[in-house]
Amino acid sequence: MLINDLVNISFWTGSPDIVYNLIGIVLFVIIVSIIFSVYGYVIGWLERKLIARAQYRHGPTYVGMWGILQNLADLIKLLAKQDLALENADKFLYTVSVPIILALSVFIILILPYSPSLQATNLGFGLIIAFTIISFLPLLMFTSGFATGNKFADISAQRSVLILISYEVPTLIVVAGIAMLSGSYSFQGIIQAQASNFYFAALMPIGLIIFFITMLAEFERPPFDLREADNELIAGWLTDYSSPYYALSLFIDYARMFLGSVLIAILFFGGWLGPILPPIVWLLLKAFIISLFIIMIRATAFRMRIDRILRLGWLWLVPLSLINLIITYIVFVGLPT
Amino acid sequence: MALTRINIGPVHPSTHGVIHLVVDIDGDTIADVEPHIGFLHRGVEKLTETRMYMQNPPYMEKLDYIAPMSYNEAYVAAVESAMGIEVKERAQYIRVILLELQRIASHLLSVGLLCNDLGQMFTGFMWTFKDRDLVLDLLQEAAGSRMFYVNMRLGGLNRDLPPDFADHANETLNYLEKRVTEYENYIEKSPIFTERMKGVGFMSPEEAKNLGVTGPVLRGSGVDYDVRKNNPYYVYEKLHFSTKVLHEGDNFARYKVRMLEMKESIRLVRTALRMLPDGDALGMPVKLRSPNPVNRIATVNRELPRGEVYMYLVADPQKPYRLSMRSPNFINLAALKHITRGQRIADLFAIMGSLDLVMGCVDR
Repeated sequence: MLINDLVNISFWTGSPDIVYNLIGIVLFVIIVSIIFSVYGYVIGWLERKLIARAQYRHGPTYVGMWGILQNLADLIKLLAKQDLALENADKFLYTVSVPIILALSVFIILILPYSPSLQATNLGFGLIIAFTIISFLPLLMFTSGFATGNKFADISAQRSVLILISYEVPTLIVVAGIAMLSGSYSFQGIIQAQASNFYFAALMPIGLIIFFITMLAEFERPPFDLREADNELIAGWLTDYSSPYYALSLFIDYARMFLGSVLIAILFFGGWLGPILPPIVWLLLKAFIISLFIIMIRATAFRMRIDRILRLGWLWLVPLSLINLIITYIVFVGLPT
Repeated sequence: MALTRINIGPVHPSTHGVIHLVVDIDGDTIADVEPHIGFLHRGVEKLTETRMYMQNPPYMEKLDYIAPMSYNEAYVAAVESAMGIEVKERAQYIRVILLELQRIASHLLSVGLLCNDLGQMFTGFMWTFKDRDLVLDLLQEAAGSRMFYVNMRLGGLNRDLPPDFADHANETLNYLEKRVTEYENYIEKSPIFTERMKGVGFMSPEEAKNLGVTGPVLRGSGVDYDVRKNNPYYVYEKLHFSTKVLHEGDNFARYKVRMLEMKESIRLVRTALRMLPDGDALGMPVKLRSPNPVNRIATVNRELPRGEVYMYLVADPQKPYRLSMRSPNFINLAALKHITRGQRIADLFAIMGSLDLVMGCVDR
């Protein structure tokens, strides 16, 4: 509570003075960046440790205590390498794509609310903006894949489009159901609606499952990681990215992990709602548990094939999400009061 | 649509060994695969002609580095056949025990690598690798080393089994039997696994016979051929066992044959341990000079974990005049071109994993 009083972002941003607003925004960006970096770093380390444990291994042990500095060491190693691009690469797109993907991911992270006091602004259409940008990310992977001029990246780029067309539709239908339930397009409105009611996970369990699957597919988590399928495509659209770009791609991984977990926590598990502990702790705790779940899926799942993904998307997820929408409408919205 | 030509290997995250595949793809579908081999060629066949008979087994073991003892045994058997040496009865039993343990170890690794080829993050691989180590512990007790054994001697072995070997072996085999069932549950209950394995990489019985494939690949296509049954050697006749044949002819059948063979090998080792006679198992000590061959030409065929090897030895005094091998992996690799056509690029490595290739044996 003390922390919330000290850095009450809505106090700064709600002020009519533009200088106060600017200070508030800078403070917010710094705080969220710290949260996101620490969270991403811890998850990145835990991912290695947990998967190692699932495989009778120890994971990183040498760098720092329990190998906690291993990812930092890897990052330094990557940055120290030579940056090479192919002769036939499209230099502009090659240079620009990966930073833009990271920037857009971070942008969505910045428009999310983290506690009643820790939010940049109450965007009336936050939900729509977030999912517009999320839909845009595979397109950028497509361009960056083609820009490198590598054939493996080309195949990966084609897959990226196929995933886009099979997973955007069910995602957006589920999101429409959420908007219907809460009667709001803003994240704050959605959390308020869950405060006065049950969490949406209880109200639309089918929607939660579909949304979870589509988030895995959107953010290239196994078993839907076939854009980066290392067995056949080496590293997919990242095959010919080296040094700083590849390091950025690791940031993108953690950013998307954080983003996906926090989105699920906000949309289905009531965001910061919870007793006793401060709101921000509740939100991060929920996101953390979801992240652990995603990691354990990575430790066990086989990779799906592209045609099966299309089939799953159009034969199961789209009809189920429509059914979810209809049930939601009839049961929770359409009933005369 | 124009075909895209991609080069997979010789350096690639998931080729089994050093192989270069030139793949023509139409979108995501494979139009043609051309394997380029020879990156591991060491001229072993020629090399054997410059060495004394019992200097050669270490070279033989490096051919198939996943099942070294099987290859070693095939070579020593060819030399024994040329020299007209009978293998002592106890040594025959021990050889069968060790060969079947080697088969279990090899199949465990194969199944683990298959999981990896299907995009699992090394979990199945690490699990089977851990269990393979237990089998290697047994082989170490029996032969003295874990990876390259060189324990076959003319007419027997370099040493007898240690006194508590049977207890250790039974303990490990009981554990392994449980684990293999566990793997079956764990792997086959995954819908993604069955979806990606069933109906992929189909090979009809006729095609399999024409291509000359052997081992689990052939038996997965519904042809009941196993050298241990059809041309029995050592005491295999006395140790009642069944060959495992499945008729589907796809990836899943080939994988499943390996699973069933592991269980059968576990039973076989148990029976052999029970029937193990007393007596002497030691072969001739290794000396530079070995007895002179009585037959000019010796041929031996053996069922390796990956298929049938056929050793053709033309014997000179003290040195082979010519040693020619029909390598099972080389011929199984030839099937790759036929069964990958029209499949998805993602399934290429699943099919390679189901063929279970070792490049050291392909290139020789």
